[in-house]
Amino acid sequence: MAPTTATGTPVARVQQAVAPASAAGTRSAGRRRGRRVDPVFYLFLLPTLAIFTLAITLPAVMGVFFSFTNSIGFGDFEMVGLTNYVALVGDPAILASYGFTMGFALVTVLIVNVLAFALALGLTSRIRAKTALRAVFVIPMVVSGIIIAFVFQFLFSNSLPALGTTLGVPGLQDSILADASTAWIGIVVVTAWQAIPSALLIYIAGLLSIPGEVYEASALDGAGGWKQLRSITLPLVAGYVVINTIIGFKNFLNSYDIIVGLTNGGPGTSTRSIAMTIFSGFTSGDYAYQMANATVFFVIAVAISLVQLRLTRGKAAL
Amino acid sequence: MPTPPLPSGGLSRRTMLAGLGGLGAALALAGCSAPGGSGLRSRVTEITFYQTKPEAIPYFADLVARFNDAQSGVRVVHDSTSGIAAGFVRGGPPDVAAFTYNLEMARFMERGALSDLGDLPEAARIRPEVQQLVDQYATYPGRTSVLPYSITAASVIYNVDLFEQAGVAVPETWSELLAACETFRAAGVDPIYSTFREPWTVAQGLFDYTSGGMLDVADFFERLSAQGTEVGRGSGASFERDFAEPVDRMLQLAEHSNANRNSRGYGDGNLAMAQGQAAMLLQGPWALAEIEKANPGARVGTFPLPMTEDPADRKVRVNLDLALWIPQSSRKQEAAREFLRFLLQPEIQDAYNRDFLAFGTTTTAPPVTDERIVGMQRYYDEGRFYQGASKAIPLTIPAENYVQGIVTGADPAGTLRTMDADWRRLAFRA
Repeated sequence: MAPTTATGTPVARVQQAVAPASAAGTRSAGRRRGRRVDPVFYLFLLPTLAIFTLAITLPAVMGVFFSFTNSIGFGDFEMVGLTNYVALVGDPAILASYGFTMGFALVTVLIVNVLAFALALGLTSRIRAKTALRAVFVIPMVVSGIIIAFVFQFLFSNSLPALGTTLGVPGLQDSILADASTAWIGIVVVTAWQAIPSALLIYIAGLLSIPGEVYEASALDGAGGWKQLRSITLPLVAGYVVINTIIGFKNFLNSYDIIVGLTNGGPGTSTRSIAMTIFSGFTSGDYAYQMANATVFFVIAVAISLVQLRLTRGKAAL
Repeated sequence: MPTPPLPSGGLSRRTMLAGLGGLGAALALAGCSAPGGSGLRSRVTEITFYQTKPEAIPYFADLVARFNDAQSGVRVVHDSTSGIAAGFVRGGPPDVAAFTYNLEMARFMERGALSDLGDLPEAARIRPEVQQLVDQYATYPGRTSVLPYSITAASVIYNVDLFEQAGVAVPETWSELLAACETFRAAGVDPIYSTFREPWTVAQGLFDYTSGGMLDVADFFERLSAQGTEVGRGSGASFERDFAEPVDRMLQLAEHSNANRNSRGYGDGNLAMAQGQAAMLLQGPWALAEIEKANPGARVGTFPLPMTEDPADRKVRVNLDLALWIPQSSRKQEAAREFLRFLLQPEIQDAYNRDFLAFGTTTTAPPVTDERIVGMQRYYDEGRFYQGASKAIPLTIPAENYVQGIVTGADPAGTLRTMDADWRRLAFRA
């Protein structure tokens, strides 16, 4: 009997199939080495490259340049070297905004991912009206952030205290946004509410990508629901968790519209985010100083993303 | 895989895509063209006019229409914005503007961005005390860069009916004010309605009134600027020292406010005054129109907040609600000046100030007649006014937020020290 490979194809036939293929490969590789790349591929890249450079790279470089000046946004300016950066390091308002934004981003990323994963598990199981429920849960994503913020600000300032007073709940008698120690909770709740749908969609995609046979095989081996979740589901969606965490953290570092609509940095300056501080430079004449702040923020954000990618190397699904 | 043969005689995909692309490009280019037609009828000079008050938009739209109809040489395009910095940064400010004048506008003025209007005859009619308000923030030597158009005076809005019912007279000293608050408390009425959720109401109300009634605000900031990076260390002007007592009295007044003050906003305050829920509201005359909308029959008046035991110390807070200017970079200055002089005609300027409960800036301006603000007329005539402290602090230092922090529980002395430190840092950078 002729020797066969695992699937039963005679070895000789496989060898025959491989040989011409490799010959064709070397022939085409030779062709590739000798021939120029069709310039039309560069032409395809050109519009995107031009727009990206004009709209993103060039303004960023200009911003970095202005951070070494004392410009107020227009008119004459002088180069002042590193004065802005030196002043930045000793400014407690800026350091406080970094502290608040980092802490807020960490807490929100955790909450969003846990809740979105739990929801995704529910929405990919065999419940009724799955599609309708998925549509409902995606609605927060399509509403503008500032509108959500103003509506929730009204709810927190009026409806929730009214409910709290009627039911006699101790912490809810007055608006939680009016107290510096609880205002961040309101912001976390609203940001999470808006961010969960996008994480949810990614987790649903991840859960649906797990083949059903794996679960069947584990059930045959006697694994219960909880064991399946821990040993099958979580390792297989680890890549999607990584994506959501990196993207989510970056987005929450940039939070602006929800905070402006809810508390506008108040009470006092307890909920001022980095983006709010940077943006205030345009309207307050502190342009160059906030450009320095923005440059430092950019470096920090890139560093955090690189660290995250390094820690999760090889596990990203996409 | 070979492409299927094109249908003969019909529209090929390539032709259709080319056609759509051409149509899209044509539409995009059409969108880029100048609005309102251009070029052919160039004898009509078109100028842009910006104005900053949202509630005055219909009023000014009407004025612009009148001007456009009355002559054919200049056509004014009316637009509105609240952030003028972007226009200057882009190099495209309006040709003429009616804007609130404060520290932020002064930045443009001191860099020579505004043209000189001193040669206009209307400039000579401005009251000297009012022109001084402009100089308080910045000057560009040798130029009259802005012409004040409308001054709003702000003080305490009070409910006349509630005062009469409780038998309280308008307080003229600090102790009379505190006694009035006690009387209202005993009668079950909130003495003051506060809206701490919105920082600007605290800054322009409690903070500015208490500091303006006890300090010489203009002089304080002059001394503060002179010290630069030495503020707060040793002698001289500082927030920590000079504002300690005004802030303390501000907190006393906050105590006499409604219990839910931390979560109330500007609109809630106006509604509460209209419904007679509180006796006093520390808000400017812009709220009077809102109160009237909620309850046309509400009887309200105004009196300056007394902060000392001497009634002669009482002053009202003013701000240059509208000031007219023409940017130096405008290429249509002649046409812009025509519109400017149209606006500055007494019948137009006086009518505006009357309709918007503001005070005129010229020597010939008539006294106000509206009973709600007539109480402030004599203070304005006698020059007993000041510009608010919160408006003299650069926006880099979030003074409004700091003040909101103080009234919602932050340590007053610590916050004032922070303001000194911020001022030092700003002086170091500038």
